[in-house]
Amino acid sequence: MSIIKAEGIYKTYNETNVPVNALNGVDLKIEQGEFTAIVGPSGSGKTTLLNIIGGLDLPTKGNIFIENTNLNELSSRQLIDFRLRHIGFVFQAYNLIPVLTAKENTEFIMVLQKVPKKEREQKAMELLNAVGIGDKADHRPGQLSGGQQQRVAVARALASQPRYIIADEPTANLDSRSTHELLDMMAEMNKKYNTTFIFSTHDQRVMDKAKRIVTLDDGKITSDETFQR
Amino acid sequence: MNTLIKIAWRSLWRNRRRTILTASTVVFAMVLALFMRSMQFGSYNQMIQAGVNQVGDLQVHDTGYWANQSIDRAFFYNNELGDSLKSLPFVKSFLPKLETFSLASYGTQTKGVLVTGTDPILETKQTNLAGKIIKGKYLTSDDNGVLIGDKLAEFLKISIGDSLVLIGQGYQGITAYGIFPIKGIFHLPSLEMNSQLIYMSLQNTQEFVYPYREGLLTGISVFLKDPSQLEQAKQQIQTKLGKNYEVISWKTILSDMLQTIEVDNVSGQIMLMILYIIAAFGIFSTVLMMTMEKRKQYAVMVSIGMQRTKLIMVSIVETFIVAIIGVIVGLIIITPILIYLNMNPIPITGDMAQMYLEFNIEPVIPFSLQPGIFIYQTLIILGLSLLSALYPIIYLARFNVLNAFRH
Repeated sequence: MSIIKAEGIYKTYNETNVPVNALNGVDLKIEQGEFTAIVGPSGSGKTTLLNIIGGLDLPTKGNIFIENTNLNELSSRQLIDFRLRHIGFVFQAYNLIPVLTAKENTEFIMVLQKVPKKEREQKAMELLNAVGIGDKADHRPGQLSGGQQQRVAVARALASQPRYIIADEPTANLDSRSTHELLDMMAEMNKKYNTTFIFSTHDQRVMDKAKRIVTLDDGKITSDETFQR
Repeated sequence: MNTLIKIAWRSLWRNRRRTILTASTVVFAMVLALFMRSMQFGSYNQMIQAGVNQVGDLQVHDTGYWANQSIDRAFFYNNELGDSLKSLPFVKSFLPKLETFSLASYGTQTKGVLVTGTDPILETKQTNLAGKIIKGKYLTSDDNGVLIGDKLAEFLKISIGDSLVLIGQGYQGITAYGIFPIKGIFHLPSLEMNSQLIYMSLQNTQEFVYPYREGLLTGISVFLKDPSQLEQAKQQIQTKLGKNYEVISWKTILSDMLQTIEVDNVSGQIMLMILYIIAAFGIFSTVLMMTMEKRKQYAVMVSIGMQRTKLIMVSIVETFIVAIIGVIVGLIIITPILIYLNMNPIPITGDMAQMYLEFNIEPVIPFSLQPGIFIYQTLIILGLSLLSALYPIIYLARFNVLNAFRH
């Protein structure tokens, strides 16, 4: 059974007087444990699709199922709770909470999930060690490099034990070395925890690591390729 | 919860200067508001005290006298009445009085006056009447002379040693008349009092109004040990004395003064409101900046699964912390100053001091330490800070996560 099933997704923005069709009938299924890149030129609808899959936005038309849950049918509160329990996010600009340390950032999501203190502290350290940044646990984001912050963001995304992780251009702000390290680390997490990763990216290095590449153009899927890596 | 408070606390200190500036606005408002209110309430208490010294905390009359102040509603003092008042533990002292209207005449001049019969020794203890004598001497207990106001003396063209004729209505229809030597001339702060008032010893007045029986009074001023027990004392005296007497508190007797205080209090409150608005804008501008600055952070938090209600709590805690810091620092600064000024009121000199003395008020600016002032100001400032938090509350409840990301 697919973990994510998008059926006939349309998304139209009416921010100006001219309606913009960001997605034009997207059908997509993603299985557990996939390492998928959604690629395409700017304005092709990658981020919009990711936002809809991530429950941050709702389609104008069509349905998005996460296993058996139709996200369209959830209230705003339920959607937030759904994201907390089932979806991890890694943002292009890292977006860590600047006043919390790396460990506290990682723990934060478990605080929201009401995980007992001892357990969450242990798990946060385990995850920070797993992403190779255990020695920086007490550093605040401002004291970390971009690559290190993105590792913390991945640790934070994994902390909620999500069904899948959405990563919107996670390497866009990273140098080459940090990109490779991050991708290797995410691939390892994918293997180790069988966590599903869905990226939107322009980055060839990410595409090279992806096991599946979905290409979007003008809000439609133009190709969907799977690779053995 | 701890994590939320931690986020709020650290967020505030991320921009230390701004937080200190905002808290300073609150400190400024607290210090100024408390200084103003303490001074205002100190002055009010001083005015009330002067008034109460004049009329007593409570007055006992024959029932109906206050509504219809006629000599026919006078009553006779008896030992039982005196013993009843003495037996009440909260009564410090009492001062019997007999007041009546009369015509005063000297030579070709005649004028309507208010004759007040009182115990000269007790009277001066309460009102310092002896200190207001500007010519002649003060009365003794069994004096047959009278004291008159300087304006009245001027009108009647009368002086010390001259004889004043008084004629008026006595008790129960008799005619009250007599010739009384002028013993002293006083000057009180009020022109009305100086041109209308005559003081006589109580005994002399009783003989003037009703010579057939001793002890006629129109009222007894009662002074309490603890003025805060006014209502309780009023009830107990009324119960003890029964229906034949009415007990009136100074609040009824000095209702005009209370109204003046109320008007002044309102003007003080308007000043305070201006201060509050300044403080509220200080807090609000910080809250506004913090909210705008953290739109993206809020979007991230909601994205990863934080409910908006929790975000609102963080925002309220942030605002509250700033307000609490301001309030505490404000209290630390102003409390010792007010304690000092309460113990050492600011002295008034010159003409103003003279005016105060004429009103039988000590020429100082007193400061009150009533706990209510501190509690009220603290609650107002905290309330205002919560009001300032309304903007982020509304924003956080409604903001669009994706739009916030774009900012």
